[in-house]
Amino acid sequence: MADLDPVIHAQARLRIMAALSSLGDGDRMTFPRLQQLLDMTAGNLSVHLTKLEQAGYVEVVKSFRGRTPTTSAGLTNRGRAAFDDYTNALRALIDPPKEP
Amino acid sequence: MTPVDDDAPPASAAESLELIRREQAAAARTMALNPLLYYMPWGGAWLIGFGLLFLRYGPDGRVFVDLPAWLPLASLFALMALAMASTALVSAVRGRGLEGRSSWQGTAFGLAWFFSFAGVGTTTNRFAQFLPEAERGLLWACSSVGLVGALYMAGAALWMSRDMFVLGAWLTVINIAGVLAGPGWHSLLISLGGGGGLCLLGILLHLRARPASRA
Repeated sequence: MADLDPVIHAQARLRIMAALSSLGDGDRMTFPRLQQLLDMTAGNLSVHLTKLEQAGYVEVVKSFRGRTPTTSAGLTNRGRAAFDDYTNALRALIDPPKEP
Repeated sequence: MTPVDDDAPPASAAESLELIRREQAAAARTMALNPLLYYMPWGGAWLIGFGLLFLRYGPDGRVFVDLPAWLPLASLFALMALAMASTALVSAVRGRGLEGRSSWQGTAFGLAWFFSFAGVGTTTNRFAQFLPEAERGLLWACSSVGLVGALYMAGAALWMSRDMFVLGAWLTVINIAGVLAGPGWHSLLISLGGGGGLCLLGILLHLRARPASRA
C-alpha cells in the first residue's frame, strides 16, 4: 500500500475524513457533534483535526453563537480531492486495472 | 509510505474501504430527515382538516355530516400547528451541530415560508371580504395550497430533490383542478390528494431509506 496518502491512511484521520465527506460542499460539523459521531476523546480528535488542517485537507472555523465559542470543521476542496484519490487508490489495490 | 504519527493504518485496503463505508453510513444516518415525522403530520392535518371541511361544507352547500360550524377549521388549524411544531423539531434536531451552506439554505427556505405566507395571508384577508362565504373559503384554501406547491417546487431546486418537485407539482395540479371544480370539491381533492399524497410520500421515503439505514 505504498502509494496511499499517509495523512489520510491512519484509522482516526480516515474516520474523520469519511465522516466529513458525507457533508455537502461548504458545510461544516461542530466539534461536539463530530466527537459524538466518531466517539473519540476531545484531545484525540483535536490532534488529528490539526494534522488534517495543516495538510490543507480540513478547514477549522472558530466562531461565536451568542457568547458561546464554537469550533466547526469541514473538508476543503483539496481535502475532498485527496479523499477521492485515496478511495480510488484503495479500489485499484483491491481490483487492479487490467493490463491491455 | 511514511507514517506521520503512531496512529495505526487499517490492516488492508478492504478494511479501509469498510471503515469509510461504515463512517459515511453513520454520518448519513444522523443527518437524515425522518420522512415520517416530516411529512405525516402535514398529511394527517390536511387529510382530516380538509376532510371535515368537505363533510360540513360540501359542494353546492350540501352538509354531509352536521358537524358544529367551527369544528372543521379549528381542527385544521390545530393540526397544522402541531405539524409546524413537528417540522421545527425535526429540522432543529437534524441541523444541530451543522454549519455552513446547507444550514444557511435551510434558514432562508424556512424564512421564505414565513414571509410568503404573511404576504399571501394579508392579501387574501384584504380581498376575501368582498366574496360570498363559500368562495371566501375557497380563496383562502387555494392561495395557501398554491403557495405550498410553489415552495415545494422551489425547495426541490434547492435540495435537488425529484420527490419534492413531484409533490409540489402534484399539489399545484390538484389545487388548479379543485379551483375549477369549486368549493367543496376543492376540500375533497386537497384532503385525499394533498393530505393522502403527503402521507404516501412520507411512507414511501421511509421504506426507501430503510435498507440504507440497516447497512
